[in-house]
Amino acid sequence: MIFLIQKTLIFTIPLLIVALAGMYAERSGIINIALDGLMIFGAFVGALAALLLRKNPFFVDHNQLTFLLAMLVAAAAGALFSLLLSFSAIRLKADQTIGGTALNMLAPAIALLIIKVFFTKDMLEMERAADTSGTMKDFGFVILHDDLGPIGRIFFDKAYISTFLAAGLFVVLSIFIYKTKTGLRLRSCGEHPQAAASVGIDVIRMRYLGTTISGALAGLGGYIYIATVANGTASGAVAGMGFLALAIMIFGNWKPLGIALGALLFGFLKCLGVIYAQISIPIHGQDVYILRDLDLPMYFYNLIPYVAVLIVLAFTSGSSRAPKAEGIPYDKGAR
Amino acid sequence: MKRLFSIFLCVALLFGTLGMLASCQSKTYEIAIVTDVGQLMDKGFNQGTYEGAKAYAEAHKIGYKYYQPANGSDATDNDRIAAMKQAINNGAKIIVAPGFLQATAMETVAKENPSVKFVFVDGWALGLDNVTAIVYKEQESGYLAGYAAVMEGYTKLGFTGGGGGGNPAVNRFGYGFIQGADAAAKEKGVSVEMKYSFKYGETFAASNELQTQIAGWYASGTEVVFSCGGSMFQSVKSAAGEYPDARIIGVDVDQSGESEKVITSAVKGLSASVERVLGQFYDGKWDSELADQAQNLGAAENSTGLPTDTWSLKNFTVDQYTELFNKIKNGEIVPVAEVPEDVTAGWSNVVVTLEQ
Repeated sequence: MIFLIQKTLIFTIPLLIVALAGMYAERSGIINIALDGLMIFGAFVGALAALLLRKNPFFVDHNQLTFLLAMLVAAAAGALFSLLLSFSAIRLKADQTIGGTALNMLAPAIALLIIKVFFTKDMLEMERAADTSGTMKDFGFVILHDDLGPIGRIFFDKAYISTFLAAGLFVVLSIFIYKTKTGLRLRSCGEHPQAAASVGIDVIRMRYLGTTISGALAGLGGYIYIATVANGTASGAVAGMGFLALAIMIFGNWKPLGIALGALLFGFLKCLGVIYAQISIPIHGQDVYILRDLDLPMYFYNLIPYVAVLIVLAFTSGSSRAPKAEGIPYDKGAR
Repeated sequence: MKRLFSIFLCVALLFGTLGMLASCQSKTYEIAIVTDVGQLMDKGFNQGTYEGAKAYAEAHKIGYKYYQPANGSDATDNDRIAAMKQAINNGAKIIVAPGFLQATAMETVAKENPSVKFVFVDGWALGLDNVTAIVYKEQESGYLAGYAAVMEGYTKLGFTGGGGGGNPAVNRFGYGFIQGADAAAKEKGVSVEMKYSFKYGETFAASNELQTQIAGWYASGTEVVFSCGGSMFQSVKSAAGEYPDARIIGVDVDQSGESEKVITSAVKGLSASVERVLGQFYDGKWDSELADQAQNLGAAENSTGLPTDTWSLKNFTVDQYTELFNKIKNGEIVPVAEVPEDVTAGWSNVVVTLEQ
């Protein structure tokens, strides 16, 4: 059971942070359909950074520092890459969906091209590296503490610092968008930019801010995803996590709490869908493998999270309220 | 901003040209390797084959080149045919193609190009004079690995195979693994649990699902997992990284350099046999020794086994290993190659749990 909760947390975190990324862009009025591409790009640059850092023994000794730096680089890469979107959407007033789609196609192309040309591989794997004493160390950022009791183990055994970092960021950014002046201005640009401009808010700046934060979070989420869930390898794909995050953002009604709930639900179902065969419930002192003994094909369980999101979206979309001005290029003269 | 954008475009263009240049060298390649699903540098099957061809080509100053069929792990027969034809257009005289999935493509292209020779690794004779096949007795390596793991003292084993249960070589590895574990358990009088799965890694790729599944195995007490399939190793390695006591058995080539968790690897002599076949071809022995033949290589040809130099087993000694290996070599022990429908039945000391 502890295992299930641990894995749920690990699956949830990248979704949570990327859905929040989507929220920041859309609340400022820019549809960010490029979340997937931003994740891929962030994951690739982060993995590249980790790989290069680990050539230096110092960074093999200080694993967590390497992880932090790689995450920072991934976030920076995501922010830079998202400038392409904000530039096209804000300055050139291009269609945001198409701009985002272009980024989604560009990101895996850049990542794969570089991996193929410079590494002659299809994916960037994290290899063993020597530490200062010359011993070869496997790649891995996991923190192990199995002496903490059940509750402690859930949070601190087999944990990643990214989990705490992302959770902290999530709280801070949720407060930021609701309780600060800048946050309020940013939200107003997503609802009625002309009204915001009439009271002196710089709509263009706010939209750049929203998209850049969004890019940084998505890049960060992409690297967290590959470092904790997907084998530490960058392969020019993140298993559609970006689009899932988009769905979770809509599911969460563009609000942080809803997003957290959606990400947790999906993370849990996704995890259950993979390890259902190993989950047992003790009945009369005997372990009963309920889900395995149902003898349904694995595809059924793998489908559950996606079907669940679809169903929930179908039922809740009636009451969902997207930012009013999202997707509409800002035109000063419009009324 | 516009300037930044144009700089970015310039960089993109530069990379594009570099990529073009890399693929446009005007040179002929006599030896071509057309890879199986997964990637070339999979530290396993494709790479082993490639390195054999590379070693021969470099030693004899012959041009060589690898071709990866389009669409990666989802490559179709048409993609493979295109890759082989491209190889022939670039001057290939002999094409080495690992993987039984290449059968249809090879048959088509080999019929159209009778003057080009084909080496079908993990395949079978196709009834064509310009095709030769190399098959391995993977069950022997699997047997040795299973035996060694149980003799070492492990009683909770796992096996995860690629190809979704449809790859004959992987199936032989797995079936041999159970046989070896059972034999050793019988000898020691212990009972062994084994989890057996083809659930993820149909295309031999690493995935988050596989990583989670294997982490679940380690969490529930599995000690050693036999990771049987190219890039799937990445997932097993990541899962093992979360458990200090978790161990891995590698496959195809010696994977001990990949992770400190690898206790040994069930290898097959890919490089050596590809190198040898290429030698026979260039010595003009194709018609007499290779044409339409299938070689079945095993312990007797030193093509299966465990690399004892790099293993980290302590209780199971090299002497014990050599004794067992020689028994297989002499035919005293013959691991069964035909994998039955139900692999869970018929074991005295091993309980096999299928996960599918």
